[in-house]
Amino acid sequence: MKSKLDVIIAGGGRVGFQTAEILDDQGHDVSIIERDEDRCDDLSDAYLATVVEGDAANPDILEQADVERADVVAALTGETGVNLAACMAARELSPGTRTVCRIDRAASEAYTRFVDAVLFPERAGARVAANEIVGSDVRTLADVTGTLDIMQIRVEEGAPAAGRTLKEVRFPSGTLVISDDDGERIARPETTLDPGRQYVVAVEPEVVDEVLNLLRG
Amino acid sequence: MSSHGERAPEAELGLLDATMIGMGAMIGAGIFVLTGLAAELSGPAAIFVFALNGVVTAFTGLSYAELASAIPKSGGGYAFVREVFADLQSFLMGWMLWFAYMIAGALYALGFAPNFLELLHVYGIVPPPGEVGAVALPVVDVGIPAGVGLAFSAVLLFVALNAVSTAASGSIETIFTATKVTILMVFVGFGVTSPMFTTAEFQPLFPGDKTAFSILPAMGLTFIAFEGYDLITTVTEEVKNPRENIPKAIFVSLAVTVVVYLLVVTVAIGTLGASGLAEAGEAGIAAAATEFMPTGLPVIKNGGAVIVFGAVFSTLTALNAVVIASSRVAFSMGREGQLLPRFGQIHHRFGTPFIAIVSSAIVMLGSVVLPTQSAGNMSSLFFLLSFVVVNGAVIKLRRERPNMRRPYEMPFYPLPPILGIVLNLVLTGVLISFLVRTDPLALILSAGWIILGVIAYVALDRRGGGESGEPTATAAAADHEPTPTDSERGAVTDED
Repeated sequence: MKSKLDVIIAGGGRVGFQTAEILDDQGHDVSIIERDEDRCDDLSDAYLATVVEGDAANPDILEQADVERADVVAALTGETGVNLAACMAARELSPGTRTVCRIDRAASEAYTRFVDAVLFPERAGARVAANEIVGSDVRTLADVTGTLDIMQIRVEEGAPAAGRTLKEVRFPSGTLVISDDDGERIARPETTLDPGRQYVVAVEPEVVDEVLNLLRG
Repeated sequence: MSSHGERAPEAELGLLDATMIGMGAMIGAGIFVLTGLAAELSGPAAIFVFALNGVVTAFTGLSYAELASAIPKSGGGYAFVREVFADLQSFLMGWMLWFAYMIAGALYALGFAPNFLELLHVYGIVPPPGEVGAVALPVVDVGIPAGVGLAFSAVLLFVALNAVSTAASGSIETIFTATKVTILMVFVGFGVTSPMFTTAEFQPLFPGDKTAFSILPAMGLTFIAFEGYDLITTVTEEVKNPRENIPKAIFVSLAVTVVVYLLVVTVAIGTLGASGLAEAGEAGIAAAATEFMPTGLPVIKNGGAVIVFGAVFSTLTALNAVVIASSRVAFSMGREGQLLPRFGQIHHRFGTPFIAIVSSAIVMLGSVVLPTQSAGNMSSLFFLLSFVVVNGAVIKLRRERPNMRRPYEMPFYPLPPILGIVLNLVLTGVLISFLVRTDPLALILSAGWIILGVIAYVALDRRGGGESGEPTATAAAADHEPTPTDSERGAVTDED
């Protein structure tokens, strides 16, 4: 498998931008399609992705974002109709491309007939909100870390660090391997990074791509 | 605290650092090593050679600036072309650029050797460079010329350094470049005020059988001296505010470099004369300096030693820069699946693109047996060709993706990229016809590299398709890619 994905994000608003930022940190190639000119200026300033100005549902604009080469098209604008149109146009132009569609209501199953995956940001937001409201002193991590990423990573066969112990691997600073394989124990220097197993790793955003290179190749 | 060893990530680079990275690569060996060879080809007109190359390369500079602002990726020319062109074309671009840097490495190592011998000579450790014989190796029954031995060791040293530790940061590069420029300015200062310069003879500009056209092959040979901004764009993601700073760094480094080159070449020709410079070859600037720099100084004894030291220092830092640059090209090709994936992996312990560095080193080490001029010619040839493709990429991108954001748009489009393509192709043609007459070996090796590339591409394509069972998205997309434009076809077929 290619270690680096070509991703097109339709819609450079809050959801699209945050997604682009995370993918860029992980070392993937991102293109953003955005209709609003001022928003495009902001996106260019952020220097995360190539930016195409225009309507994501317009096949001509999708082609300008090089949809034929893209591995994934994620339509993340605030309008379900536009997102669905963009995903279906992408499927038509490039049948092998995976499509992810942001929707605005919970009836997600209805859409999976047309797209590969659906996303309902409000539901994810609601979980965080519920966590906040309950206000417990101990929380699950994914929702509360600032810029720090806590990731579960499956070690790829043939990756540089595959089959080696933590002692042998020099990770960039800003990395902490937390769990032993499949989360049974805390990692120790003699913990082996077995291919096919999953490890929980805390990573600062600027070294995510390097850590992924070591563990995924 | 942590259960494993760590390495620190690299710092962010400012405009000054980015500019210095570009200048560091350009004001490296180009001026020290190639001035003598350019003077040999074109006489006193060598002054124009560097000026005209500056003009030619400025058009490509505009293209680089526009692409770097629109495509936020590190990786230089290869990354941009990868974004715009189909698989085979972008593969060939990376393949050519990789080679250009590796051969440049060999060139800088070869330039380092005679200058280093000159430095030892200044201090009376060895006889004049011309008289240093071959070093007889006791085990093998052949003598290895001292120059080749030194070049080989230099490459080995820098490859080893870069293979086991992450690259020197931009601030070190800034100090290196400032040192080089200062030394050259000392050279210019003493040269202009020396009695030899006041009686300087620039006439005839074209002595003997030389004509205005004899500067063209010299332009081809020295073109490599301007490859620096590809290096700037290989680090864009580490630069602060790259959208503004990258175009600025490209233009500033190019302008300053051209000025420095002109001053140095003028002084060198004015003091040593074109023929004297030509005789000294790779150590031309150093030889010129020892003629007019004051002697009898304390500690350093001989003022010329400063310049000779500058030449040694410059060739070594430039060598270091291209070792990094060549491995970065191979690394990004590996990441893109255009070389074996191993090339795109970092070493688990050293944190460096180990395989990419070591394989680049093998080609570099093999190339130090080449004559300096062949190395210069081959490297220039591949830079010229890849610059043609970069200019083509700007045009293709503007035509096919008009709605793409271009925070920096070049003025007078489409004139600069068209002129860039035409002028680079003219120089390519001149260089090839010059090589046909004088250096067929370089031409055969160049063609061989391209053929090897096509074989590697086909083999990799087969392997990729067969292994995963289903063609990857990239391979599937390749079938739908538009046919190559005329400009690229020119770039791909022009070598034979």
